Parts: sequence; C-alpha cells; structure tokens
Amino acid sequence: MSESGIDGERRRFIAFALTPSLIVLFAVAVLPAIYLIVTSLTPFQLTTPGSATDFSDPLRNYALLPGDPRFVNSLAVQAKLSVASVLFQVLLGMLLALLLNVPSRFVEFARTFFLIPMVLPPIVVAVIWKLIYAPDISPLYYAARALHFTLPALTSSVDFALTSIIIADTWEWTPFTFLMVLAALQTIPDEYSEAALVDGANRLQIFWYVTLPFITPILVISGMFRLIDSVKAFPLIFLLTGGGPGTVTEVTNYYAYLLAFDTNEIGYSSAVTVVMLLLVCGISLGLVWMGRRREALA
Amino acid sequence: MNESSLRKATPGRLIAITVVLLILLSPFLWLLQMSFKTNDQILQFPPPLIFRPTLENYVALWHSAFSASFVNSLLSASLSTALALLFGVPAAYALSRWSGRGKHGLSFAILVTRMAPPIAFTIPFFLFYRWIGLLDTITGLVLVYTSFNLPLVIWMMQPFFDTIPVSLEEAALVDGARTRTVFTKIVLPMVTPGIAATAILCFLYAWNDFFFALILTRTNARTAPVAVVNFMNYEGWEWGKIAAGGSLVMAPVLIFSLAVRRYLVSGLTAGAVKG
Repeated sequence: MSESGIDGERRRFIAFALTPSLIVLFAVAVLPAIYLIVTSLTPFQLTTPGSATDFSDPLRNYALLPGDPRFVNSLAVQAKLSVASVLFQVLLGMLLALLLNVPSRFVEFARTFFLIPMVLPPIVVAVIWKLIYAPDISPLYYAARALHFTLPALTSSVDFALTSIIIADTWEWTPFTFLMVLAALQTIPDEYSEAALVDGANRLQIFWYVTLPFITPILVISGMFRLIDSVKAFPLIFLLTGGGPGTVTEVTNYYAYLLAFDTNEIGYSSAVTVVMLLLVCGISLGLVWMGRRREALA
Repeated sequence: MNESSLRKATPGRLIAITVVLLILLSPFLWLLQMSFKTNDQILQFPPPLIFRPTLENYVALWHSAFSASFVNSLLSASLSTALALLFGVPAAYALSRWSGRGKHGLSFAILVTRMAPPIAFTIPFFLFYRWIGLLDTITGLVLVYTSFNLPLVIWMMQPFFDTIPVSLEEAALVDGARTRTVFTKIVLPMVTPGIAATAILCFLYAWNDFFFALILTRTNARTAPVAVVNFMNYEGWEWGKIAAGGSLVMAPVLIFSLAVRRYLVSGLTAGAVKG
C-alpha cells in the first residue's frame, strides 16, 4: 500500500469517527438554539393556538424587556448573587489552599474530604441547607434557642434571603476555587520564598510579593468559571426561597423558569433566555481572550 | 530538594486543618445523622447527640415510590453515559489526530455547548418532547443527558489520546493494519483508565441533574433528586425521609468521586452542569 493510500484511509476513518458526534451536537445544541431564538420572536403560549407561529410583531418580547421591572430586578439580583458569591469563593478557596499547601500524607488524604460539597448533587446541597435554615429543626436555631436569642426566619426574610442563598452557594463551590488555587500553589518553586525568607521578608511579605503574583491568574480564571456558572444557580433558589420573598432572590434564570413553566409565557421566557445566553457568551469569550493573552505573555 | 521551612505540617496547622474540615462538613454530617433519627428525635430540643440510630426512614423509602425513581436515575445515568462514550470517544480520537485547520475552533465550539445555562435547552427540548411524546420517558432523559455529556467526553478524552505517540500507530499501519484495527486494538486499550474516569464523571453529571428531570418528567420517569423534593411538597415535611432520600442520592456520588478525584478539575471546568 502506498503512503497516500494509508493517509487516505486514515483521513476517512477520522472523518467517520468525528461525524456522528458532530451530527448529534448539531441536533441537540445548534437546532435547539435556533428554535429558542425563533420562539423568542413569537408570543408563544401553550394554551393559545397559533401563537407559536405568530411572527406579526417579532421584536415585541425584546421591546418589553427594558420596561419589565421583574426582568430588570432579576439582573440586579443576579449581579448581587454572582459578585458576592464569587468574591467569597475565591477568597475562602485561596485561604483554604494556603492552609492545605503542606507536603503531608495526612493532608493529602484530608484534601479529598474538602471536595465533598462540590461533588454532591446540587439538589442534595439544597436539601442540606433547607435543613440548616428550617427554624423547627435546624442546629442554627437550636443554638440560638439555647442562648435565649431569637433568629429571624432567614430564607423568608427580605433582609437575609439573598444572603442565605449566597452562604449556601459559597459552601457548595468554595472547594472548586480551593482545588484550582492549590494546583497553582504547588507549581511555585520553594526556592523563591526561601530566598525571600533569607533576605528577611516576613510571611505576609512573602505572600504579597511572591505567592500572590504567582496565583493571580488562577484566581481570576477560577473566578470567571464560577461567574459563568453562577448564572445557572437553580436548585438552591428553587428549594430555599422560590425566588422570594417577593422577588428578592429571583435571578434571571429563575425568572425565565417561572415564565415558561409556571405562567406559560414561553415566547417571552425564550427572549429572556436569549439575552441571558448572550451575556454568558460574552463572559465566556472574555475568559478565552484572557487565556490567550496569558499564553502570549508566558 | 529539602522541604521548605514555610510549608511545614506543624501540629498547629494539622489541628487547624481538622477544625476547618469539621466546620465545612458539619452541614453534610447534620443531614446524615438526621437520616438515622425518628421524626420525634428530629424535633426534640435540645437535639440528642447520642441516640439509637434507626433505619426506619430507609426502610420506608424502600417500600415507597422512591425506589422506582432511584432505578430511573440509575437507568438514565448509565444509558446516557454509554451513549456519550460510544459517540464521544472516537470523536476525541479524531480530534486528537486531525491536524487540519479549524481544529481549535471546533474543540472550542464543542465546549461552548456545555457553558450555556440549561434553561436555554430546556425550553426547546420541552416543546419538542411534548410534540413527539417523549415527555416523562427515560428515553427523553437519556437523550438530554447524552447531549450534555458528549462534549465532556470529547473534552476529557482528547488529552489521553494526545499522550499516545503517533509513531506507534504508524508502525502498525505500515505493517498493513487498518486504522480501525489500530484504534480498537492498540489505542483504545491504552486509554482505558481515561475512559473509566470519564464514564464516572458522565454518570455523576446525569445522576446529579435536577433541572431537566424536574421539567421533562412527571411520574413515570421521575428521578431520585426530584423524588426527594416531592417529599417536601406532598408528604407533609417528613424530615427523616427527606434526610434519608438525600443521603441515598448522594451515596453513589461520594463513592465515585473519590475514585476519580484526580480528574475532577478537568471534568468540572468543562462547564459544570449546575441547575
């Protein structure tokens, strides 16, 4: 068999191996995206015949968005939830990683257990926090009662509902940033901090001038990953607050869910989702761009 | 290299690590201990720290509709994992060996499909399933989970194929073997550990899903995560059962994720499905 014969057969095999996946991905990712956009141009409601194909005023849904107080509010809630939980997760994840960055058999063994909150099914995390926030059975409320102190019902309080979601989300995802930062810390050669130590630097100075510059990129990247994913927060909100009280914890994702599957406004919900998708894509592209820049600098 | 004086496992540090770990895990441990209590014990104040554990919550779940939903979860997670591997492993190999232009663009496009919020898929899937009668079926769930796991398989398997030298394959090809044979007889056996890790991660993603199952199933294909939540709505807040159900749902996850902890980061950064 000639060289080109082998090459040709190989090329055919590669194409053959790749094609089914591309067809599946096209069918389950590209087609639904197109369908979603088409639906967003209609006043689609399941109960209204013909509404799915009513393209008489295609931009109606999008025109309504800026004047919809619940949509605008949901963006603000999303921003508060995302920014607060990402900041906490990056900060706590970094502190945890610094604490656990020691060469020890025991610590290596213990690390695995630090990952538990992240791998648990999200709905189980929500169930756990439902128990923690339930006044009649929660250890928090038992402790408050023992100290003769009355705790408000956290998840139904206007002041604390969003905070209680942020706390639960931070518990769930700090292991993720911890894992990323720990991996970065382990690439720093000990010689650098040793040299600084010999030069008379204290621990804080070593952290600030040696460690921090090393791990800054990974702090940013893991923060971005969490930021993209924070848009998907659903089980916690679904189980703990249902978006309430009022709309205090109603993020955009949850609002879109309620619109489509609670109030039957499928067309309008699709428009909300399309806007959300565009935002996520924007953040993702930013992430890739930063990754490229980093590669270029390195 | 001698060990740094800055990174030492001092007793103080080990104690601090243990304390932090206990605080971090306490919410999880609270759920676990609650699953072994009777409803009376759960409501007792102060909460009894030492109590005779009971399995009655688990027994009650076993005899309820929960066991059927547990089977639904097992079925949809394992079938979708098998399908995603069937499509994804050859595709990952092809991407690894294909040196044409547009390779990076294609890999990235595949990854992007995982970054989108699930609601963006749920609305079209719901409408389509409603139309062709796939709502509340295991088949419907398997299809969604396969589509979500396929990019993960491609993304996770590609580096494994990258580590296998092409020269190894070329030798066999020159000897007259067909590419298909080289792939199944030489390459695949070498990446078995990678396939195992990827399979477990796929299984976990499907197993952990709540959002798709909530919307695309009702009663026949209801999965365990949705069934746990239903205890809250219709069975009058039976905390013991809720805790036991939650513990059962997380059991396979804990076992499997310990097995693949080395691959967790790459699996999760492929756009974690959460929702």
